[in-house]
Formats: sequence, C-alpha cells, structure tokens
Amino acid sequence: MGTVYVSQDDSFIGKTDERLTVKAEKKQILDVPLIKIDGLVILGRATISPAAVMELLERKIPMSFMTGSGRFLGRLEPELTKNIFVRRSQWDAAGETPKAIHMVQAFVRGKLKNYRASLMRHLRDYPDNDLQKAIDDIERAIDSLATIKAIASLRGVEGHGSAVYWQAFPKLIRADGFSFTTRNRRPPIDPVNAMLSFGYSLLRHDVQGALNIVGFDPYLGYLHTERYGRPSLALDLMEEFRPLIVDAIVLSAINRKAIAPKDFTAEPLSKAITLSNDARKVFLTLYEQKKQSKFKHPVMGRQCTYQESFELQARLLAKYLMDETDKYPPLVLK
Amino acid sequence: MFLVISYDIPEDKRRTKIHKILKSYGQWMQFSVFECELTDAQYAKLRSRLSKLIKPSEDSIRFYFLCGCCQPKIERIGGEQVRDDTIFFA
Repeated sequence: MGTVYVSQDDSFIGKTDERLTVKAEKKQILDVPLIKIDGLVILGRATISPAAVMELLERKIPMSFMTGSGRFLGRLEPELTKNIFVRRSQWDAAGETPKAIHMVQAFVRGKLKNYRASLMRHLRDYPDNDLQKAIDDIERAIDSLATIKAIASLRGVEGHGSAVYWQAFPKLIRADGFSFTTRNRRPPIDPVNAMLSFGYSLLRHDVQGALNIVGFDPYLGYLHTERYGRPSLALDLMEEFRPLIVDAIVLSAINRKAIAPKDFTAEPLSKAITLSNDARKVFLTLYEQKKQSKFKHPVMGRQCTYQESFELQARLLAKYLMDETDKYPPLVLK
Repeated sequence: MFLVISYDIPEDKRRTKIHKILKSYGQWMQFSVFECELTDAQYAKLRSRLSKLIKPSEDSIRFYFLCGCCQPKIERIGGEQVRDDTIFFA
C-alpha cells in the first residue's frame, strides 16, 4: 500500500477500470491499481475527474491538496476515519500530562541527538577541529533528559543544547566569505541565517502537511505552547528534522560553494538579507533533492525518503497518542 | 496471498478485456502472465469478474498460488521490473 504524489502541473487524474491514472501533456504518466493506494497527495495544479473522486471516497482513500511549494491547502476525506480519535487523543494529552512529557522528551532528544551526530560527523572528517567540548556538553544534556519531568525544564535543556550547537556551528563552515556568530531571525541579518530561516519555513510546510494528512490539529503543541496563529505541533515535530535536513543542506551549499556570498542582498534599513532569484532556485533544488534522498528508517527498518519520513513520524506520533504503542521514537540518524 | 496468473485466449477482443481487468489487480510481467498480491476478497472479486467474461470452451486462465516460502525464491533475468508499491510519483 502506498501514497500517490501528483506534482506534475496541469495533470489530469482519472479512473480507468479499477485503476487511478494520471495524464499530463497528452501522455499517461501513472497507472496504478486502486487496491495499492492508501492516500493521494496533489501538489500544485491538477484536475481530478468526478468519477475518480467518487471512487477514492468509496474506497476510503483520503486526498490532500497542496500548493506547488508544499503548503497545505485542504483535504477531502471519506466518511469513517480515525481522525476524531487522533484529534481527541491529541487534546487529551495537552498540558503537563505524562504523555506530553514523554513527547517533549522525545522531540528534544531527537533534536539534540541529531545535533550531536552532525558535530561528530564533522569531527571525523576534520579531526583538527575543536568540537569535542560541545559534543560532550550536548551529550550531558541528552543524558539529563530522562530524569526531568517538567516541561519547562525540558525546554531549558533544549535551549541549552541548541545554544551549545549554535556556538559550535561557525566551525562547520569551511568556505570564505561567510560569517556566522549567532542565530538571528525576523529578519535574519546574515546570509547563513537567511538560508537557515528559509529552509526552516520550507520544512515547516512539509511537516505541517504531514500532520494534516494524518489528521492532527497542527496548532496544538506540547514543546511549543499555544500562541495565536502558531502551528505549535508542526514546530514540535520538525525539531528532530532541523539538523537532518535544513542544517545539512545549508552547510553543503556553503562548503561545496553552490551558493556564494554575492548571491545575497541586504535591505538598507532593516539589514534584512534576501537570496537572489537564482540562488533561491539552487536552494530549492537542494531542498527537493534532500527530501527525495533515501535512507533506512531505523524504526520501520525499510528504505524511505525524508518526504515520506515526515508522514511516518506523524503516524508514529498518532499511534503513541492513541495507545497503540508505548513510546514515540524520534527520527535519529547516525 | 501471492498469485501468478496466466491466460490463453484466442480471441483478441476478449483477451484485451481480460488484460485490462488484470491490470487493476496486479502487475503485467510477461505476455499473458500477471503477478498479483491480493487479499481473499480481492481474489474472489477478480475471479468472478474473469469467469463472467471468458468462454470456457475456448479460453483458459490459470491461477498459481505461491506460498510464503516460495515467493522470495522467484528469480528474474531481464524483463519487467517489479513495481515499488510504497510510493507513486507523477
């Protein structure tokens, strides 16, 4: 069973016999049996025939609609799904509950472990770099997580671990012309921060889309508190993905000189830094390539792409909240 | 369950119809040979659809069930690649 992603613009989704077909530019680009499908995600502009909509609803296959850049627009959902249970268990766990504490621990652990792994990888490649102290600091923060049972203190550990990581971050940059002293945003005032912020907003769209597909309310979070218009759960779930995806592509864009300091312009008054159009295309391509790159999921034990892993982690979260599993395992990669 | 389905149908029109139905249930591996991974209900539905269509005096369709231990022993040299059913892009 798999999910169908339709990202070809102006494609036509139809139904032939008991199969879903996708046509674009007068060519058939996909033809799969409906019995193999458990979800349909439409990115960008596509037409879907009424017969196909009816058939998908009959077969209880949900459809999600997104913009070409991956922002979630809406969802057409068949009758009789588990959605209400997902949402109720999400609300039941809100606040200082044992489940919320477990999830916050997991989010922070996932993030810090991935921070540590990325520093360690760098230290392996460049042993002369002075990173050991930061690694040890993050290690201690990870060890302390299991004993802390207050969400506010867990946030403190997360803040400390991140501070250590961002202090060490400039040492990972190995190209001339880029300076990074500290993380800043709204607006980012140097090219590295500008790229990080851009990457995180792309990532948020993807993670929020995955949460919506699974049936969560992305505005109710555990590590991030409720604030008007803030998708807290999406921010929670993306913590473990930040170092894996965005930090990794920012570093590789800089260190492999795919993006140079001249690709940025500063706005005179606010000092806000923006990427040039060409560099933005380069960055989007890198992001897309990263999302489609494959790795072996440590919990599921099979090959998957980062794009799929957003949804996988959201489904694991739903399983934990609905008492189908007793742990939420964050995605940690060596 | 995993099935290998082969058919021998002399009439072109009927053969095309059979082929189209089978495409909705599995993957076309060779001329007149399909491989399908089906549940009992899906198999029952496929079988009834096919049996309504064929002329038993001229046509034949054979269903070979592969047990769980035989399935990984399939060897392939060339030909159609097995479709990845976990994700589809268009």
